[in-house]
Amino acid sequence: MSNEEILQAMVRRATRRRFLQRAGALGLGTIALPGLLAGCGGDDEEAGAPAEPAAGPAEVPTASGRLDYLSWEGYDIPDAMKAWTNTNGIDIKTNYIANHDDIQGKIKAAGSAGGFDLTTYYQGYKPLYAQLQILKPIDESKLPNLENLDEFWAGDLGSFWVDADGTRTGVPWTWTPLGLTYDSAKTSALPSHYDLLDPKFKGKVAVVDDPTGAWALGTHILGMKPDEVKKADIAKVNDFLSQIIAQSSGVSPSFGDVTTKLTSGDAVVAFQGWTAVNQFAADAGTKTIKHTIPKEGGFTACDCWAIASTADNDDAVYSWINETLTPKVHAAAADSVIGGPTVGDAYPLMSKAVQKLYPAEAQAEALEQAPLYNNPPVESEEFVTFEEVLKNWQELKAGAQA
Amino acid sequence: MTATGRERRLRAGPLLLTVPAAVALLLFLIAPLAAFAVYSFLTGSFYEVSGPLTLENYREIAGSDLNRTLARNSLVVGVLAAVASVLFALPIAYWLRYTASRWKTVVLFLIVASFLASYLVRIYAWRTILGAEGVINSGLGALGVVDDPLTFLVFNRFAVTIALVHIYLPYVILVLYAGLAPLTPSYLEAAQDLGAGRVQRWRRVVLPLVAAPAASALLFVFVLSAADYVTPQFLGGRSGVLLGVQVQVAFSTGDYAAGAAISFTLLAAFLLCYGLVALALRVARLDRLRFVS
Repeated sequence: MSNEEILQAMVRRATRRRFLQRAGALGLGTIALPGLLAGCGGDDEEAGAPAEPAAGPAEVPTASGRLDYLSWEGYDIPDAMKAWTNTNGIDIKTNYIANHDDIQGKIKAAGSAGGFDLTTYYQGYKPLYAQLQILKPIDESKLPNLENLDEFWAGDLGSFWVDADGTRTGVPWTWTPLGLTYDSAKTSALPSHYDLLDPKFKGKVAVVDDPTGAWALGTHILGMKPDEVKKADIAKVNDFLSQIIAQSSGVSPSFGDVTTKLTSGDAVVAFQGWTAVNQFAADAGTKTIKHTIPKEGGFTACDCWAIASTADNDDAVYSWINETLTPKVHAAAADSVIGGPTVGDAYPLMSKAVQKLYPAEAQAEALEQAPLYNNPPVESEEFVTFEEVLKNWQELKAGAQA
Repeated sequence: MTATGRERRLRAGPLLLTVPAAVALLLFLIAPLAAFAVYSFLTGSFYEVSGPLTLENYREIAGSDLNRTLARNSLVVGVLAAVASVLFALPIAYWLRYTASRWKTVVLFLIVASFLASYLVRIYAWRTILGAEGVINSGLGALGVVDDPLTFLVFNRFAVTIALVHIYLPYVILVLYAGLAPLTPSYLEAAQDLGAGRVQRWRRVVLPLVAAPAASALLFVFVLSAADYVTPQFLGGRSGVLLGVQVQVAFSTGDYAAGAAISFTLLAAFLLCYGLVALALRVARLDRLRFVS
């Protein structure tokens, strides 16, 4: 199923939900709902995407012991999971990463010695992680709350979290569209990514040190798919990215640093702008930082829960993931990481600020403007590879190709 | 117990005390270094290395424009930070040793206390000073000296050098202060009695005797600055990226072989610098000067 087909299915589902809400308002009782749902079942079949739990009653394993967590600081969502942690008496050992590549690096380094249980991955890393064999297959029968996932996220979109053979390796739980961030006190909204090249922004563009993200956005703007850029076309992408970097005052090591540059006046706009930067800046007292998806679009980053190949407490991971798919915890997690939810019923429970950043009614449109992509392939004779992208980025950063 | 046995034990005692440190160094420094030395001659792929032995990694380093650019940046920033640190630290250490009197304890405490400040906080402090809306630009703007912010203050090698000098200056002051400790005022008084003026006392007495500790401090700052990979990312912009960043990137992206090869190239360069400094001290006959009481 293509992105477009899934998006159409989402729109149909959204329409169905609104119908149900209206029906409720008109006094149709819950008795009528199963019939209505059954009547709408054809849509689901057309979408064809939801991962059905395995036969037999779904049962969540009981969590206990120590859970070794490996991912970003903040993704351990301590406030959202406080009740679960206390109820189960779980000792969470956090191992925070500085960049996404730390995930594979640390899991590979841990090897068979064991260690990390729960991890996350950005969907584009799936092919690399499959090759490195650092993720365990997920038994869907142990995650009854998978059914809470919205249709778009439950589907096998691009083998990001469910392989073609039905093997699940991840559970999408937070997403965000990447586009362009700007300080509305200093510039009006930029309708095009190419506006970043305006001489008036010389030295005022913030760029985050995220090679695969920059590659995804750059190729999307140029009308290519990041995982299908022919080797002959690498110069086109490099040329564009080098022009963007030449407009910057240097590549920032993190989105935190991008925020600092925007709030301190060292930058006015940011390439690969992230919605959450608005909130980071607002928390720092600058309420004029805005996010936009220019006319060329952007790309969406979706992070998935996963079980590391080194896991020795799978039960706790299953219980964790299942808990995060309950609307209440999911909403708290979305608020905490300032990310879009994958559980639709969490929307009403989210804070107004985060709802505003990820309006439910605009989700389909946002995902259409900013699709999900894979990273470049690990090995390919035809297309630019992941390794080549990383190497190119280092050269672009240092201005060697500018 | 015989006297001979006691002497033997006395001689062996200090040696035995070094065993834990030697074992720790062997396990946690020498062994990993040896492993990475081997890695540097292997072929790397994602998080794996494989044979046969090859010089390809070193060939790539030598043939890379990017590495040459970064090596040049590292050399410039390392030398500037090291020289500036020693030049700033020497008068302070001298003042602490001979003039500070009752302020000495307070100032030494402040120098040591500065180590407690977070590395990143100090880097960001420089951003707030040198940035577009930072202290300097705001001040100059308020005074009407400039209309637009000065952009050359930050996100370049200059900013990296300033931050590194700030970070390493306390270490250098302490090293030089310790180096000056045996140089009692009687040396200077004797030189003065023999007719040496202030400049001559500095040139003929103080500088030769602190040359060796100053050289140590110089190398210390040079090595740490040239290989730094944190400060350049926050303050370096495009012109201030250093070779240490390449090592960090190589290891974080799973290219252990390339990371190891760049590390050993840096190590070789630093050993060469050490040799050159030692040679310079020897040629100037400053390596064998000793304090006498």
